[in-house]
Amino acid sequence: MSAPVLRLRDVQRHYQMGGTPVPALDGVSLDVGPGEFIAILGPSGSGKSTMMNILGCLDRPTAGSYELAGTPVAALDDDGLAQLRSRTIGFIFQSYNLLPRTTALENVATPLLYQGVGRRERMARARAALERLGLGDRIDHEPTELSGGQQQRVAVARAIVAEPALILADEPTGNLDSHAGAEVMALLRELHAAGRTIVLITHDADVAATATRQVHLLDGRIASIDGVGLAS
Amino acid sequence: MSVLELLRLAFSRLRTHRLRAALTMLGVIIGVASVVALVGVGQGSTTNITARLNGLGTNLLTISATGGLGGNATSTLDLEDAAAIGELTSVAGVAPEVSTSATVTAGGESTDTTILGTTEAYPAVRAYEIWQGSFLTDITVDRELRVAVLGSTTASDLGLGAEDLGTEIEIGGLPFTLIGILQPKGGTGGADPDDQVLVPISVVQKYFVGGDSVRSIGVSVADAAQMDAANAEISSLLRERHELGATEDDDFSVFDQAQLLEAAESISGTLTLLLGGIASISLIVGGIGIMNIMLVSVRERTREIGIRKAVGARGRDILAQFLVEALTLSLLGGLIGIVTGLAASAAIGQLAGWDFAFNPMTLVVAVLFSLAVGVLFGVWPARQAARLDPISALRYE
Repeated sequence: MSAPVLRLRDVQRHYQMGGTPVPALDGVSLDVGPGEFIAILGPSGSGKSTMMNILGCLDRPTAGSYELAGTPVAALDDDGLAQLRSRTIGFIFQSYNLLPRTTALENVATPLLYQGVGRRERMARARAALERLGLGDRIDHEPTELSGGQQQRVAVARAIVAEPALILADEPTGNLDSHAGAEVMALLRELHAAGRTIVLITHDADVAATATRQVHLLDGRIASIDGVGLAS
Repeated sequence: MSVLELLRLAFSRLRTHRLRAALTMLGVIIGVASVVALVGVGQGSTTNITARLNGLGTNLLTISATGGLGGNATSTLDLEDAAAIGELTSVAGVAPEVSTSATVTAGGESTDTTILGTTEAYPAVRAYEIWQGSFLTDITVDRELRVAVLGSTTASDLGLGAEDLGTEIEIGGLPFTLIGILQPKGGTGGADPDDQVLVPISVVQKYFVGGDSVRSIGVSVADAAQMDAANAEISSLLRERHELGATEDDDFSVFDQAQLLEAAESISGTLTLLLGGIASISLIVGGIGIMNIMLVSVRERTREIGIRKAVGARGRDILAQFLVEALTLSLLGGLIGIVTGLAASAAIGQLAGWDFAFNPMTLVVAVLFSLAVGVLFGVWPARQAARLDPISALRYE
């Protein structure tokens, strides 16, 4: 058994709503091993977004412990979180979230910029990532000059350019037509086949079926887990 | 992130928003340009005034008769007073002066001008130089020779030049021999120091004003540091010679060139500060323009900030990015402003007829000032950007 990439123990996240704490996550425990492809499923209000923020180190749990690639997240300050993100997580968002008026190449190179990688190496690695995703002829295009599917592929390139331990995809097909959506899912499968750890957050059971494990969230708790985990 | 990376980000941002960047910079450009131009004008005029006052004679004390007795126009100063002052060790030269005005005629041309009677020491005391010929000498004064030296303006009014030395000109109907022409002193505004005719003081006293009193005595003091001592010495000497009692007021006044110089320098120095101060207000307004546009920019780019934070930017990376952007705007504006301001002050100097005073300190101050404006007005928006929460920034539409 190798050490888990994600390790959540009784994670809680409460929001203050008019003075009373409202639990968005209410005691979630989960291990995700290296090379796993899991989907976190649930209707809106189930705590999916909160889960995504916690897993993505954009937010900290109110209680419980979360370790990402062996690093306990609770001990880190904002800058520490930012550094952990830049080294270990590649994000893929529903709305692509590419930098506007910035070429595909510069967009893909941005995570490396914040890791302090020199410009020459940055550009070489970004170019290689784009070429791997079949966008070699689009590197100088800005987001507005690309289709939705192409933009999401640029986002995938950005997510993998820094070789992160975890790829976190939040409804990656939500804004795409079925053809482009299928393409992106095929990409994720490829990445999984290449040994990457992927967490996919979605409300769509068909999309979630691509993953090897499906974690169903309901009212901030894990309702059920389908499929076979590597470790537990 | 290195400064180079930050500059690259800033410039690519400014390139994509050229008009906005230009308009924002315009505020700083106008501010810096007006500071540089007005301070340049102030310093130019100070230099000009100083040069002109120095041109009137260095270490110069001018003694004038005041009032006379009971409104009598007769001057209380005479040639013997001048001679006595000349005996003082602190005095390098003495030039008594008597003036009148008369018509000067030469070869059909004529002009009305000042006829100044004086002595050999005049050029040294009043800082004139001979251009052509020679100046008055003690002999011409003692023998009451009717010789004349022309100021350069008078000479050109009469159409006289080097080839006319030794010819005869008429002053107030009397024939004089032209023996010299002075170098022009220049200067604009006020009385033209080059429009006068110099003749032996004895001649003016004899033919034009009568009596042996003098209007004023120019005294050149030997040591600039001893102006006040010389001033006191001359005053007590004259009081003694004029037999004034201890309670009586002076019947003359001593005017110190250095005091005028100091006063003029302090006035124009204050003026320079005032002009610079008014101009810096526009620089501050320019800075507020930068802050305004940076705040708008933080707002517009909330999502971009969220994305950058999600992919690993720390708060300080965002802070640095926005701060460098503001600094780039202010510094670029400052540099353009310096060039514009220097050009403007050179043009104004040209119009006003003084030398272009280029002061490197002004440039250093202007650059520092625009940097300060960038930091001062850039920090707040940059902090706002740095503090944005990545989750809400990512959701921001």
